[in-house]
Amino acid sequence: MSWQTVFSAMLPEHLLLLGMIAILVIDVASRKPAGATALSLLAVTAAACAAFLSYANGFSADAFPGHFSISPAASLGKAVVLAMAIPVVLMSRDDFFDDPRFAVLMLSSLYGFCLMLSSDSFLTLFLGLELMSVPVYVLVLIAFQRPESAEAALKYLVLGGVATAMFLMGASLLYGRGGSLALSAFVQGLGSSAPLAIVGVTMVLIAFFLKAALVPFHAWAPDAYEAASVPVTAYMATIVKAGVLLAVLRLFGSAEANGYLVGLLVALPLISIVWGNLTAMKQASFRRMIAYSSIAHAGYLFYAFLGAPEGRYEAIVFYVIAYGLLNLLAFACLPGNDDDVARDRLDNLKGLFHRQPYAALMIGIAMLSLAGIPPFPGFVGKFLIFKNVMAAGYTTYAVLGLLGSYLGIYFYLRVIQFMFMSADAPAGSQRPVGGMAIGASVLCLAATTVLSLFPGLVIGRL
Amino acid sequence: MAEATLLSLVLYLPILGIAILVALPAGAGKAIRGVTFWLMVVQFVLTLILYARFDPSAAGLQFETRVPWIAAWGVNYHIALDGYNVLLVLLTAFLGPLVVAGAFTAVDKDVKLFYAMVLLIQFAMMGTFLVQDLFVFYLFWETMLIPMFLLIGIWGGERRIYATLKFVLYTAFGSILMLAAVIYLVWAQYKATGAMSFEFADLYKSQLPVDAQVLLFAAFALSFAIKVPAVPLHTWLPDAHVEAPTTGSVILAGVLLKMGTYGFMKLGFPLFPEAARMAMPIVMVIAVISIVYGACLALVQDDIKKIIAYSSISHLGYVMLGLASLDIIGIQGAVIQMVSHGLTAAGLFLLVGMIYERCHTRALDAYGGIAKLMPVYSVFFVILTLASVGLPTTSGFTGEFLVLLGAFTSSWTLHLAGDDLPMVMSAIAVSGVILGALYMLRLAAKFLFGESRAPHMPLTDLDVREKAIMATLVVAIFWMGLAPDSFMRKTEVASRQFQQLVAAKSTATQRSAAPAAVAPQAQAQQPTAGSVR
Repeated sequence: MSWQTVFSAMLPEHLLLLGMIAILVIDVASRKPAGATALSLLAVTAAACAAFLSYANGFSADAFPGHFSISPAASLGKAVVLAMAIPVVLMSRDDFFDDPRFAVLMLSSLYGFCLMLSSDSFLTLFLGLELMSVPVYVLVLIAFQRPESAEAALKYLVLGGVATAMFLMGASLLYGRGGSLALSAFVQGLGSSAPLAIVGVTMVLIAFFLKAALVPFHAWAPDAYEAASVPVTAYMATIVKAGVLLAVLRLFGSAEANGYLVGLLVALPLISIVWGNLTAMKQASFRRMIAYSSIAHAGYLFYAFLGAPEGRYEAIVFYVIAYGLLNLLAFACLPGNDDDVARDRLDNLKGLFHRQPYAALMIGIAMLSLAGIPPFPGFVGKFLIFKNVMAAGYTTYAVLGLLGSYLGIYFYLRVIQFMFMSADAPAGSQRPVGGMAIGASVLCLAATTVLSLFPGLVIGRL
Repeated sequence: MAEATLLSLVLYLPILGIAILVALPAGAGKAIRGVTFWLMVVQFVLTLILYARFDPSAAGLQFETRVPWIAAWGVNYHIALDGYNVLLVLLTAFLGPLVVAGAFTAVDKDVKLFYAMVLLIQFAMMGTFLVQDLFVFYLFWETMLIPMFLLIGIWGGERRIYATLKFVLYTAFGSILMLAAVIYLVWAQYKATGAMSFEFADLYKSQLPVDAQVLLFAAFALSFAIKVPAVPLHTWLPDAHVEAPTTGSVILAGVLLKMGTYGFMKLGFPLFPEAARMAMPIVMVIAVISIVYGACLALVQDDIKKIIAYSSISHLGYVMLGLASLDIIGIQGAVIQMVSHGLTAAGLFLLVGMIYERCHTRALDAYGGIAKLMPVYSVFFVILTLASVGLPTTSGFTGEFLVLLGAFTSSWTLHLAGDDLPMVMSAIAVSGVILGALYMLRLAAKFLFGESRAPHMPLTDLDVREKAIMATLVVAIFWMGLAPDSFMRKTEVASRQFQQLVAAKSTATQRSAAPAAVAPQAQAQQPTAGSVR
């Protein structure tokens, strides 16, 4: 393996690293640091382009055999999620004012994400998972605006630690059984009915359930989402969730869900869908509502693993794109406010259409799409997942999942009701959406429009 | 080819309108209204041209546009006119300008969004009628929810939020089960044929086992029955109608309710013929209950809008009865009844809107002797009342009469085969005509005659705009009543197709079909006498 191949296999990661170093150096060297947003935007965009190019060229290489490899599928996953990080960087400008800490932490989290998607062994997967998660613990706390943030960050940290421990324990059990750290040990464990394998596989899965905030491992999410500042919440709700799901996809490989796993993969996602959707109905905080919504969406996403292996990749990638884009659209258009708590109150969105029609329309579109109402891409994503589940023969489960998704319609419509139909709330210290955030929303809207009008561009080509 | 382009233009004109509205400043109320109105007029004229060129003798689709949309799933963007949708498309396009003109003075809040939503729902309704692909049908079907949700929720009455959420949550519940059924149906078809397709024409050929058909039919039927609405799934309708602004009520009664019956005709029955035939007695009973129960409820309301809302339930019961009769006359009658109800209910809601703009109440007790105060208004009101009752020479008569005739014809065959339920049901359905006369005449009598009183005096009679709207409607109503032939000829081939799709396959699976289903099939094979009239 030539060094060029190894180098280009890790090109997206290298670009992210370069961005981090540049930001840190400028921060240290110059007296009045600036340009962190621009630099991280550059790094993320370059990394996304690099990943997309290596996907488009069908580049695949076993850069570090047994630990790190690159395939077109992995490249595409990286490209998609790195591209979704662009709006996050843009909207962070209004909250973090070029804070280099935010930029560096986010880039390193993205680095971990990329590493995870290329991992072939539990070792790299673990490294990637931790590298992705640890900066987020800090990010929750970085915009320390209220005391609850500390509590939430701690909760997130502790539960994240539990997930890590679970993952390590599960991985070591699988290692103890097969004597291999390769990810294929997981697939072998899936096929086995030995207690050791079952416990190992379950523990690894639970670690990911925790990270993806599936009921009953979801308790950290509402607190963390609410306590973090808006860009960080957007980052957690979209990119971290996407990362976790794509990592599980890598673990599962081409293995069928069978035996006890079916039970696990039906029960927990279904409970998450129902519980997430029901609990979201009563929330007074926008970010908390999105947290419960993301719990429900994690449920839909894990449903995809019931489907046949060939369709999973497409279903999850499409869903992640649709879900991520629309979440980012909503967050980008959430009007700014000097008071972070007030910014978040759903009540303060009342009559938003009369104050900021563009923001209200965009949030409205996002809500409709998240509710799965056509013609927005959220519907096609849901259709794809439930089609695969039904095709695999789990008709009843698919119907139950769809009925669960019905429960979610109300609270999304409630947001629209507030913005369009309620008497206007006093604007208070509500600010118009910032220019960069508008830019982010235009990006998301453009991508959403393309996906709505031409889903055929993506479906069937992944 | 030119016609196909024209059809696409008809469908996309509202979208063009929305694009223009977005560019206009929010304060330019006059320009916004003008653009919307004239676009709707153009849409109607184009539809009229297409209608004139529509060849009634040709079976199948005309003026087709078909483009692969999601190639991997075999989803096509496929729009076309056929005998099923041609009258409904015409109705939608016809009501469009009237709806917009009717709202000129009524809406002054968020004018831009209002007309954008009217255009959007016009687009979604047109699309739902025109598409020939189940996936895209579902997209349009669901898209209709969004503008209606906003129309009722923003510009509605006092309890608008409750009403609009009820409307959306009811409809969405039906849709979600329909979605499950769509996925199952297409997948089963894929497993059987090896090709994935959402085309109606392909799905008609599916050979599903009866037990699967029953479940799928139940899911589709639930969704459509909520939209119709059939008793006992009707409770959202009075709320939605009462709280909706006039525009919303007119669209709802004029076109949206037909989505349910159209869905039954185009999809529900023909996709699952065996299950449909097994369910026919149930459909019939529900239709008759809707007719009688709706009429009884209309009889005791004291809100004018509610009377008309419940009368809609009763009138759409006739449509269901006509479809369920599986008799060519009954089916033709059902189609005419759909259009006729679209015209009369839209007209009545417009009239109620006009008096509401003047007096700000819909309570029947508040009014009396309007005939003296507003003579022109009253003339229109009487005409529409009589059309709604089904007076001969109006469209209402043609529809109801043909439906009942069809129902009795098919019941007679069944009666000879020893099944008396349809006969009993048809007999009860006739009472709906009498009840209809009762509640509508009670409304007219209290409202128009007696002691002169109104919450706001003096009342000004209709102005030119309002007269023009109503006169247009009245012309259409009499046209359909006096010369229904020309309309029925356009739908005759499709009605026969429908009859054959639902009735024909039974030879192969007669054992599994319910006894009630045998006779319509026998009837389908005997040639029906030439012209339906």
